[in-house]
Amino acid sequence: MFFDLSWIIDWGLLSVISLYGIGIFLPSVFFRNAHVQNLVAHGAAMAASVAGIVLGVAGLLAPTAATFSVSSNLPLLTFQIRVDPLSSFFVLIISLSGLAASQFAVGYVREFENRHSMAALGGLYNAFLLSMILVVLADNGIFFLIVWEIMSLVSYFLVVTEHEKAETRYAGFFYLIMTHVGTAFIIVAYLVFYQQAGSFSFETFRHPPAPIPEGFRTLIFATALIGFGTKAGIVPLHVWLPYAHPAAPSHVSALMSGVMIKTAIYGLVRVYFDFLGGVFPWWWGFIILTIGAVSALLGVMYALMEHDLKSLLAYHSVENIGIILMGIGSGMIFQSYGLPHLAALGLLAGLYHTINHAMFKGLLFLGAGSLLHATHTRNMEEYGGLIRKMPWTAVFFLIGAVSISALPPSNGFVSEWLTFQSLFLSFQIPDLLLKIILPIGAAMLALTGVLAMACFAKAFGISFLAMPRSAHAREAQEVPWTMRIGMGVMALFCIVLGLAPMGVVPVIDRVTASLTGISIAEKLVSEGGFALAPAPDKGFASISTPVLALLLILLVPAALLMAAVIGGRLRKRFYKTWGCGINLKPRMEYTATGFTQPIKQVFDMIYRPTVKLETEMLEESRYFAKRMRFQTHIEPVFQEYLYDPVVKVLQKLADRVRVIQSGSLHVYLAYIFVTLLVLLLWVR
Amino acid sequence: MGPVSVMIESALITVVQMVVALTASPFIVGLIRKVKARLQCRQGPGWLQPYYDLAKLFRKDVVASTHTSWIFTATPYILFASTLTAVLLVPIFLSKVPLNFAGDAITVVYLLALGTFFLMLAGLDAGSAFGGMGSSREAIVASLTEPAMILSIFAVGLTAGSTNLSTIVHKTALLQGIVTDPPPHLMALAALFIVTLAETGRVPVDNPATHLELTMIHEAMILEYSGRYLALIEWASALKLLLFLTLMSNIFAPWGIATEREPVWMILGVGVWLIKICGLAVLIGVIESMFAKLRLFRVTDFLGLAFILSLLAIIFFYILRG
Amino acid sequence: MAIHTDMGSQLVNLCSALLLLTCFAIIAQRRLSACVDLFALQSVFLAVTAALVAFLTGAYHIYIAAGLTVVIKAIVLPRILKAVIERLNVKRELELNINIPSSLLVCGALVILAFYITQPIISLGFLLTQDSLAIALAIVLIGFFIMIARKKAVTQVIGFLVIENGLFLGATAAAYGMPLIVELGVFFDILVAGLIIGVYTHRLQDTFDSVDTSKLTGLKE
Repeated sequence: MFFDLSWIIDWGLLSVISLYGIGIFLPSVFFRNAHVQNLVAHGAAMAASVAGIVLGVAGLLAPTAATFSVSSNLPLLTFQIRVDPLSSFFVLIISLSGLAASQFAVGYVREFENRHSMAALGGLYNAFLLSMILVVLADNGIFFLIVWEIMSLVSYFLVVTEHEKAETRYAGFFYLIMTHVGTAFIIVAYLVFYQQAGSFSFETFRHPPAPIPEGFRTLIFATALIGFGTKAGIVPLHVWLPYAHPAAPSHVSALMSGVMIKTAIYGLVRVYFDFLGGVFPWWWGFIILTIGAVSALLGVMYALMEHDLKSLLAYHSVENIGIILMGIGSGMIFQSYGLPHLAALGLLAGLYHTINHAMFKGLLFLGAGSLLHATHTRNMEEYGGLIRKMPWTAVFFLIGAVSISALPPSNGFVSEWLTFQSLFLSFQIPDLLLKIILPIGAAMLALTGVLAMACFAKAFGISFLAMPRSAHAREAQEVPWTMRIGMGVMALFCIVLGLAPMGVVPVIDRVTASLTGISIAEKLVSEGGFALAPAPDKGFASISTPVLALLLILLVPAALLMAAVIGGRLRKRFYKTWGCGINLKPRMEYTATGFTQPIKQVFDMIYRPTVKLETEMLEESRYFAKRMRFQTHIEPVFQEYLYDPVVKVLQKLADRVRVIQSGSLHVYLAYIFVTLLVLLLWVR
Repeated sequence: MGPVSVMIESALITVVQMVVALTASPFIVGLIRKVKARLQCRQGPGWLQPYYDLAKLFRKDVVASTHTSWIFTATPYILFASTLTAVLLVPIFLSKVPLNFAGDAITVVYLLALGTFFLMLAGLDAGSAFGGMGSSREAIVASLTEPAMILSIFAVGLTAGSTNLSTIVHKTALLQGIVTDPPPHLMALAALFIVTLAETGRVPVDNPATHLELTMIHEAMILEYSGRYLALIEWASALKLLLFLTLMSNIFAPWGIATEREPVWMILGVGVWLIKICGLAVLIGVIESMFAKLRLFRVTDFLGLAFILSLLAIIFFYILRG
Repeated sequence: MAIHTDMGSQLVNLCSALLLLTCFAIIAQRRLSACVDLFALQSVFLAVTAALVAFLTGAYHIYIAAGLTVVIKAIVLPRILKAVIERLNVKRELELNINIPSSLLVCGALVILAFYITQPIISLGFLLTQDSLAIALAIVLIGFFIMIARKKAVTQVIGFLVIENGLFLGATAAAYGMPLIVELGVFFDILVAGLIIGVYTHRLQDTFDSVDTSKLTGLKE
């Protein structure tokens, strides 16, 4: 090493915290001009992100974990920080996304400058990023819970930025409740650890004085799954996600969907593989895998029916969390059967998809933000023809769409391929049932992949192609360069992650090696570093995205050349699209609703659509319709059958409890007095 | 031989494979048409008609809609390139293709999906309702076929312990084509056959010979295309058909394929391969003549069957292995 | 396992696999006459399986059972059912309780379940036709499912007969056939059941102008 890694980690950490600190406080304290506040806040966030990237890379390269600790006056709480490969990897993800989103935000929030307090928006934004960084770095249970809570609260405030809208307030409220239910479960998990280990330090979680009994381990598994699962948005705890993520400003949505839900993945991996030492029965992995498969499939299916572009993207987050969990779940199954190479592969696939999803989902949300900025609507049916008005945004959105649809040679393809391989390699598991069920998981993943492709063909095709469908779309203009650069940076990350998997895999391998104890990077990278082949033997399969990209790039000009040789010079005439003799109008175009109609009909078991058709006939003849109203809805199954009953029971309980709320000050004082007496008697 | 000459040889084999596939694919399309014509007691066009068609289309003017964007122009080239790339990953006359390392069966499926994705976009690009309808229907057909295709290839891959097509074909070929597990392989083959009919737009899923808006899927997406763009798309469709026929013949019956890079064996391999895929093409022609096209929402029943067949193939594989 | 490589056992497995496949074909088919044809085909496969088992084990009474299977299940019963279909003029299963793709998925799950349940028995490994037992259970379950998921009386009869085919396969596979007298009794039962159900279907048609068995719920009033 030319330079000292620990020195870089020290200073990286210090500068990340202090730069975000500047971003939080400086705008509100020193500046009055909203635009200056905007520049200072997002400039600080960008600088801190760069420092975070350095910190993440250094942490991944460092041979040993670095720990820092500041004691506090409060019992049980020490501000312990630990920079190990797993946390460094997530710091890297957060910082990469943070860099692009902050760049985008400079342009995006300009229209907020006159309406909202820029100091609050910018400060909260910095606090949000910092709290996420601290969540993944925390090395103490109480400290973790505090920053986790700060992250949730700050993101709540960001969600309700546009609190003048009723639906935003509803989304925020829903989010606040759900995230606290989740936190409650995480607290239970940590309390079990505390009860067993005697301290809240993660180090004692890892090495408790006595082994944790089986029952408590299962309790930890379940509570951590529900707690972190609520944040991650696994089915059926996903219902808040499609409300909250779209309600936030788009650069915050990009971070919430791209990064914040990943802190839950971090939590799950940390608890299962690190604290519990990767020792668990096979059915833990099986449950994670099943939840992953169901989340992936239902996520993409509900996304298909969504015509609000940002809600659509939010549902895709549910899908991608599912795909990540499928990788991690298969890894856990392999781990429990003592197949560490395959466990590392599954985990690696999950983590690779984690960073990929952060990039392409961030990119797509920024793209959706650009569309919102240009058209002032999130309804896809009012877009159309934007590829001519916003060529840059269109290209960036297309890159994101290809990546999320896992089409080669994109980054999404690489990680989904790794997930496929880890599911296919299930034939090495000794259990017959698992051997049969894991390939079904692969089939569900395939179905998810194709439906995602259909969904983004819809999203891109309806939004950007053909004729503008509304005045909003006709008057749209390309977004300013500050926003385009933000999207461009994300797009660049996507391309690099797709074309250089052999460079990325060894980096993630450092994380999985630290968790499973086995490095598979050398086995994964083959053909002189140009191809990937899954462990343990290279014979199973391999892909090489750079070669695929090269072939595609070479064959396009070859096809051009061939066409020129056979057909001579291209003579091209333009004429308007044939509309069966009528001038084509935007109303005659295929709509997003129409596009997904066959899918709705085929999977009606899941959607349970209701259709209402009202026809008003002409008075003269009942064969001629004057007006037709067509309404179609899909049934929100989870809300109706899972949440509404719970809410009803709670409301009934609340009604009962209301009796003690009399409104009289004296009665309240009496309550306090009685409580005091009871407590005094109890402690005697 | 030195590594350089090996690389030159590999490049040469790849180019030969490309040329063979490009030349043979229109012939297969013509063959199916000929079989259908004969079964309808017609003479049918000559054997070379598909080649004439392509040459003619390449020379014709292109008429494009004023509503379209660069997506419309780029799609034929992307579709052609992605399909051809997929063809290069499939063993045709040599069991170990030089580009084996670049992609496996899943890659082939997703490369074809890349072409489909852009075709779906192009269908929406002109703003005509026909194109949108085609794209919408293609979305549902594709989403039901691909899981079945991945599972069916995996059912075969289990025997060879690989999802790389070359490894699968090579190992089966070395066994002299003796299929060790008849039930799973038969089921997987049946599933792949249904997938082939659906993915290449054949009766009973789609009808390549119709321009009736109620029934068309693939033809509706490419309705706005003309001239050399249409030629490229037609050629890509032919290549896709060829690819599926090759998959079926070489995975399940890799008889006669060259296992070494010997020119004699490779030439023989081309001959045997042609006979096999011509046989399959005749079968498709017969099926197209025997059956009527299914309603769109009955297609799902048909494709569901393919999915279940491939799933059963996997179950049986494990059961029979114990 | 030595017998596993055995050609005969492979063939039995192949045949029972084909039996299972015809079940799926029946599920995927809406045309009633085609369902009957598929049932006949399934019975032929069953007879072939039984004959193979008879040949391999030397239990010659199974030949008689195989012959009876062909006569009764592949020829007589399909004719009766076809006649019913012809007379009542019900050609298709139009409304399904559960649509076809979902039915197929459910049946796939049933197959996995069947294999999972029989796994402990199979792993004892004393049977020549060990996998056939799992397939037989799967066929029985699918037969039940056909009776639940389809509405027309004719398809329900087919479901019933499929169950019977599964039981027969199970008996052949697990016990190398039942005593001949039991088998003869069973065949007689089926024949009588087929006739009774044929008559019942006619009565149904006369009473409700339909062979939709869900109309029977009207009888409770």
